[in-house]
Amino acid sequence: MGAISLMMWALVWYSQPSVQAASLPRVALNADSIGPRPIEQRTGESVTRDYAQAWRDLSDALSTNRTAPLNDYFTGIAKTRLSQRIVEQRNSGLRTQYVDHGHQVKALFYSPDGGEMQLVDQAQIEVQVFDGQKLIHSTNSVQRYLVLMTPGADRWYVRSLESVPDDAGRD
Amino acid sequence: MFKMLTRWLLFVFLGSAALAQSVSVQAPSDIAAGNAFALKTTGSGSATFYLLGPSHILKKKIELGGDLQIAGSDVSSAGLYQAVLCASSDCESKEFYVRPGPPARLSFLVHPSRVPVSAPNAINATALVFDQSYNTVLVPSPVEFRFSLAGTAPFSRKQTTTRGIAWLQIGSTAKQGPLQVVAAVGDVSEPRVIRQVASEACGLRMSATSNSRNVRVQTDPIRDCSGNPLPDGTIVSFTKIDQAGRSTVDTPIKKGIATAQFSVVGPGRISIACGVVLGNEISVGGGQ
Repeated sequence: MGAISLMMWALVWYSQPSVQAASLPRVALNADSIGPRPIEQRTGESVTRDYAQAWRDLSDALSTNRTAPLNDYFTGIAKTRLSQRIVEQRNSGLRTQYVDHGHQVKALFYSPDGGEMQLVDQAQIEVQVFDGQKLIHSTNSVQRYLVLMTPGADRWYVRSLESVPDDAGRD
Repeated sequence: MFKMLTRWLLFVFLGSAALAQSVSVQAPSDIAAGNAFALKTTGSGSATFYLLGPSHILKKKIELGGDLQIAGSDVSSAGLYQAVLCASSDCESKEFYVRPGPPARLSFLVHPSRVPVSAPNAINATALVFDQSYNTVLVPSPVEFRFSLAGTAPFSRKQTTTRGIAWLQIGSTAKQGPLQVVAAVGDVSEPRVIRQVASEACGLRMSATSNSRNVRVQTDPIRDCSGNPLPDGTIVSFTKIDQAGRSTVDTPIKKGIATAQFSVVGPGRISIACGVVLGNEISVGGGQ
């Protein structure tokens, strides 16, 4: 499964008016270098869709200081850490606003048994942090994330989401 | 009026410039997760300090112009942090990375949990290497996969992690029993057990004894091609075809063998199968 077809799929998927989540961030998945197991078309579609939903939920959770939106697409250490961040934000009177300009995702590792998939995401996100109404930090840059996703009964979950320096995750 | 406005704008501009120059925060170039360190601040007076991390928020009043001690517990998660200083209405921030610590934890996944002997590339082992706080260790780390089965010589394979992951695909060995697989990195190890079971039957044979109308068939001890006995409970199918028609008896292996008894009308044939393996065929009745 090459990157081209998955990227084409991503474009098609987001152009469909019937798809409920018009506010989902753009995610383009490139699976050219994945191994040792090749990625199936349906799996690529699911990972792309579920990763986009995870970022939408994360943005919602950080801006509203509610942990509930993390329940659907996050699990494990990712969910624990993000929940902790949100609770501490709330306790400190802070909130974080994301303007998501899209994700260039490269799938790198897919275990032979299909149990784990590692991705590197180059995300273009505007971040604004507020203390009450006061803007205390603002940035608009490309941030690199190392992502581990694992399959559940009907979706892929983000199990680990770590921001990494630019040189991390390159082959 | 115009003069006053100009003066006010100048005051605001100079004030902002002064803040930008006089208040700053500097971070060390190398910070490991879970380790304490100091941020340097410049300026004077008090300010509000924020540490914004992947899993932690710190907010406190500080006095500018000195070192600001950050506890290791404030940077247990690796990743991008923002140190923000706000004095009056303006804020200055500095971004820095916290790198993962050394390998201290392993997540080890082995698949499947039960595998037939001598099956090529049947075992998949994936090890994910983390530091003490479950940050993915990005530095390539050697992982040793050790395999041991009672009565056979242990062996091992080494793989180096890429972005925190080492994996291995290997065939099962020839002897049945619990195969222990251990992943180890440094002093950390994680064991798993795979049950290796006998493969398909090999050289399946039966013999028959008969009286006037009944034939009793019994297999030899049923083993796979590596000599492992197939487990009791494995189903063996005996099929008889004679003048009365076709009849099949499915019977489990008991104490290594399977038996069945048929009534035979006229000359007939009895065949045996176990899984996908066919055994010998015996002619019975009709004076044979």
